[in-house]
Amino acid sequence: MMKASSIFGLRPRLGPFEQQVLEKLWKHGSATVRELLADGEIHQAYTTVMTTLSRLYKKGLLDRVSEGKAFRYTPRHTPEELQRVTTLDSLRQLLESGVPSSLPLSHVVEALSIHDARLLDELQLLVERKYRELHGQKKIREKS
Amino acid sequence: MFALRGIAVSLSCFVLLYCLLSALVEAAWSPLKPLQVAQRSVAAILFALRTLPLLVSVIVTFALVVPSFRLLEPRSKQEGMAMPLALGVCALLLIAYSCFRVIAAQTSTTRLVTRWLEGTHPLKASADSAITFHSRRGAPPITLVGVLNPRVLVSEDTIALLSHDELNIALKHELEHMKAWDNLKKLIFCFCPFPGMAKLESAWSQAAELAADDAAVSNQGDAVDLAAALVKLSRLVPIEGAPVCSMGFVAGSLTQRVVRLLTWDEASKERRVRIRIWFVVPFAVAASLLVAIAYGPVLALTHEVTEFLIR
Repeated sequence: MMKASSIFGLRPRLGPFEQQVLEKLWKHGSATVRELLADGEIHQAYTTVMTTLSRLYKKGLLDRVSEGKAFRYTPRHTPEELQRVTTLDSLRQLLESGVPSSLPLSHVVEALSIHDARLLDELQLLVERKYRELHGQKKIREKS
Repeated sequence: MFALRGIAVSLSCFVLLYCLLSALVEAAWSPLKPLQVAQRSVAAILFALRTLPLLVSVIVTFALVVPSFRLLEPRSKQEGMAMPLALGVCALLLIAYSCFRVIAAQTSTTRLVTRWLEGTHPLKASADSAITFHSRRGAPPITLVGVLNPRVLVSEDTIALLSHDELNIALKHELEHMKAWDNLKKLIFCFCPFPGMAKLESAWSQAAELAADDAAVSNQGDAVDLAAALVKLSRLVPIEGAPVCSMGFVAGSLTQRVVRLLTWDEASKERRVRIRIWFVVPFAVAASLLVAIAYGPVLALTHEVTEFLIR
């Protein structure tokens, strides 16, 4: 689904129209330029939408397959994934910039990383799995 | 005038050496990644590196610069005072700033801890009277605070959230920080200010957390309990920031700590070499002997270098 290189090489800086097109694509799942223009919510020229989609593809946010003379575009990330990637990337840049000694900034970074709910859920699952594994081993030992 | 010049020259040498060594440590520490070494040793090495500039500068100043000036500097000689005075003032400013940082850290810690300790009472779950729990919301879940009279503060939320085993192992982790005098080490860091040392301090902090994890855990069950406590307490959001002289339980890279604990095994712990303090003793004795034997020439060399630097 997501390649590590694409995640960590990604630095999405989206303009308002790019954001709008991306949101439309999330709604549709996948679409061609014509399909995006069909419902009349986007009031830009065909070529503008085509260029924007092409730019989003180059930024690594979309996948595309050719369909006749056009392309069908699919978002590479869900909105949640994109938010996570952007946050991680910002934090990584922040940390790599050489933050000075014992600053409140380090606490912000720590707090952000600590309270990443999804990460905590994943770690919680790992802990529970290990508990089960240990209890399983204990039962086997008791039986033997 | 001779005494004033001596003080200025000594302070100048101190500040020059301190800055040079600090810059060297800052540039050179990161490639030093000892593999298969116990985390306690990693923490000790990083602490030694962080404090090395100050320690060496003080020793060199008092053991070499001051005696070389007293013995070898002609009293009648008239030399320019501008450079030594300027550098001396820099040194005094550095010392004043260091003292200010230490006092500020200690004061803010005391103030915050006093507030957190209001209405607390000893934790019944622990036999150690140093351990108290507090009911104030917003304080960190489990924290070791204080330097001379350290205490482990445990919030009511923590007691409610953790099982008996998890709480015990979490307390053991904090007591390991206490045994290692980690809060004192943090205060010492305040006394060695130098720009760009944040990464080294952060690496020390991470190593100290891992070392406390290692010391607290003695079997797989303990390791999983500690990992579970870490994940549970990470969900509590402290409203107030932790003071400088404190070691919070939820600190460092959470993922690294949890994954490390879940893959804990006795064999890997024993494979890791522990660098003990007495490993350094032969080198220290050899260096001291060398200096003692060649003290005269070393003093002469120091005097020459001092003259060259502060002309």
